[in-house]
Amino acid sequence: MAENQAQFEQNKRERPMSLLMKVMIIGFIGGVFWSLLGYLAYFFHFTEISPNMILLPWVAGDWKYGKLGNYIAIFLIGLLSILVALIYYVVLRQIKGMWAGVLYGFVLWLAVFYGLNPLFPNLEAVAQLERNTIITTLCLYVLYGVFIGYSISFETQEMNRQTQSPEANK
Amino acid sequence: MEVKENKVPISEKLTDNENFLKEKIGVGTSFDLGVRKIHVLKREVHIYYCNGLCDTQYLIELLKQIVRINDNERQTAQAKQIIENRLVHQQVSPVHHLDEAVDRLLSGLIVIFIEGESTGFVVDVRSYPGRQPEEPDTEKVVRGARDGYVENIIVNTALTRRRIRDERLRFEILQVGERSKTDICIAYIKDVADPGLVELVKRELQQINIDGLTMGDKTIEEFLVKQGYNPYPLVRYTERPDVAATHLLEGHVLVMVDTSPSVIITPTTFFHHVQHAEEYRQSPAVGTFVRWVRFLGILTSLFLLPLWVLFVLEPSLLPDKWAFIGPNKQTNIPIIIQILLADFGIEFLRMAAIHTPTPLSTAMGLIAAVLIGQIAIDVGLFVPEVILYVSVAAIGSFATPSYELSIANKISRLLLIIVVALFKVPGLMIGTTVYLLWLIHIRSLNTPYLWPFIPFDPAAFMQIIVRRSAAGAKVRPSIVHPQNRRRQPS
Repeated sequence: MAENQAQFEQNKRERPMSLLMKVMIIGFIGGVFWSLLGYLAYFFHFTEISPNMILLPWVAGDWKYGKLGNYIAIFLIGLLSILVALIYYVVLRQIKGMWAGVLYGFVLWLAVFYGLNPLFPNLEAVAQLERNTIITTLCLYVLYGVFIGYSISFETQEMNRQTQSPEANK
Repeated sequence: MEVKENKVPISEKLTDNENFLKEKIGVGTSFDLGVRKIHVLKREVHIYYCNGLCDTQYLIELLKQIVRINDNERQTAQAKQIIENRLVHQQVSPVHHLDEAVDRLLSGLIVIFIEGESTGFVVDVRSYPGRQPEEPDTEKVVRGARDGYVENIIVNTALTRRRIRDERLRFEILQVGERSKTDICIAYIKDVADPGLVELVKRELQQINIDGLTMGDKTIEEFLVKQGYNPYPLVRYTERPDVAATHLLEGHVLVMVDTSPSVIITPTTFFHHVQHAEEYRQSPAVGTFVRWVRFLGILTSLFLLPLWVLFVLEPSLLPDKWAFIGPNKQTNIPIIIQILLADFGIEFLRMAAIHTPTPLSTAMGLIAAVLIGQIAIDVGLFVPEVILYVSVAAIGSFATPSYELSIANKISRLLLIIVVALFKVPGLMIGTTVYLLWLIHIRSLNTPYLWPFIPFDPAAFMQIIVRRSAAGAKVRPSIVHPQNRRRQPS
């Protein structure tokens, strides 16, 4: 009983840390989930771009074009998404609701497809992409943005709620 | 609402009371209201009753006791006290106003007026017509309790109390409906449920201004969550006391409405509608498996048909190995029309099955399955694949545990099919995105509808994906803001 109590106390003390942990998990899962869906969309030719896009510039070897390459890329996107989530956490977490997330996803899409375009030799300029590709990737980015943004802002609100009413967590 | 300024006090003259009741509620006009006049200790005593709602046996017993007073007692001056003493029932309370007496009388209690006294008595001898608890049709389990809620709120609270004997379980009752005066009960566990939520529900219920709640809890729901034309169910109904008790312990607030055999569980998210008691009556592994299959069914009911339509319209999208998908034969009617026809056909069947007596519906199922499908193919109306995919999608709907959710999904699926037919890939992608965003933006009693998927909560999402063992589920879901997070006090 005393042990549990102690553990419970510990949980309480580490609360800010656990929010950060949650943000990182949200980022990772978000990246993996939505890029998996992206891979599915690629499989059905909704888009010309598959998750292995991020591997192509700097990895040698043919495996990067196959399934393995894609799964590794999906994992890497998950890791990158932790960064994406942390940026949202630092900059936008106090904004309530989901629309900031929608915008965040849209901005991310702009950043990747316009800003980072020179980094990816295989990525054509947006004007040359198929209409389906643009729409599919844009939709996925928006949903990805909402996933990360809304989750983080909701967690932040819950955290604020708990600190405002300390007896709520006895 | 309940405080009326000019209340009529009970008169010491019984004829005044009688005239009031005759005029106000039509004693003598309405055949279900009656009065029995007897003499006790040289005073006149009137007993008013509503004949369908009170138990005659108790009433006779009470009458016997009162009449016997004449044989045993002599103190005429204390008639009121003596009569009160002889009302052999645990629920006797005094009334001072005729309006109050009328309310009680019409809910089935008997009202007793004594000559020369300005205080009457009401005795609760109610016995409402109703059925015994039986297993609800919509939430059957292979093993487990077979009792279900009935139309009587007293029985329903009793069924719940039997499962939670906690001293902190609260059943607060209030009446809603200017004319129907329906009893509504808010159930929660005092040190678990979020007091803010209890307050919110109570406030919303008190603000309801309506003459009657003939459709019971559905009417309450529409006031409570302000659904509008949103097809998605914003509260979960259950007819199972064990499910209700589980949710009480998790910190949910329940609303029970008299005359409804189901209770409202608040707050609810999308994922409350995809769980079923059966999962918790099987081992955790089996429960998890059943749940995954069910999720697959729900996803199928939503996305299979739009995807298939897309591949029929644009076969180039399919990977080479999957090229066999799509109709092989030339079709006479556009696929999209066929799909919509078949989907509506199934909807006809479903609706017809609801109000067809069982013996006839067997015959109807036979006609539907054998004749319509086969002949529609033979005459060249449908390609066989349409029947296949529409049926699979329909079975996916039937695998959805919540009837309300399955219908809402059906509407979404029809819309998705139409946008896919119109706009192909962009239609599917934008349609799905807008659909998801729309689901995300819904809030039911301040709870995000797609929680814990979006906003994502890792721990809670695991609870959805894996049916946890009872010993492993240590904390209550955070979405109800429980005052007491841990399920197992250590």
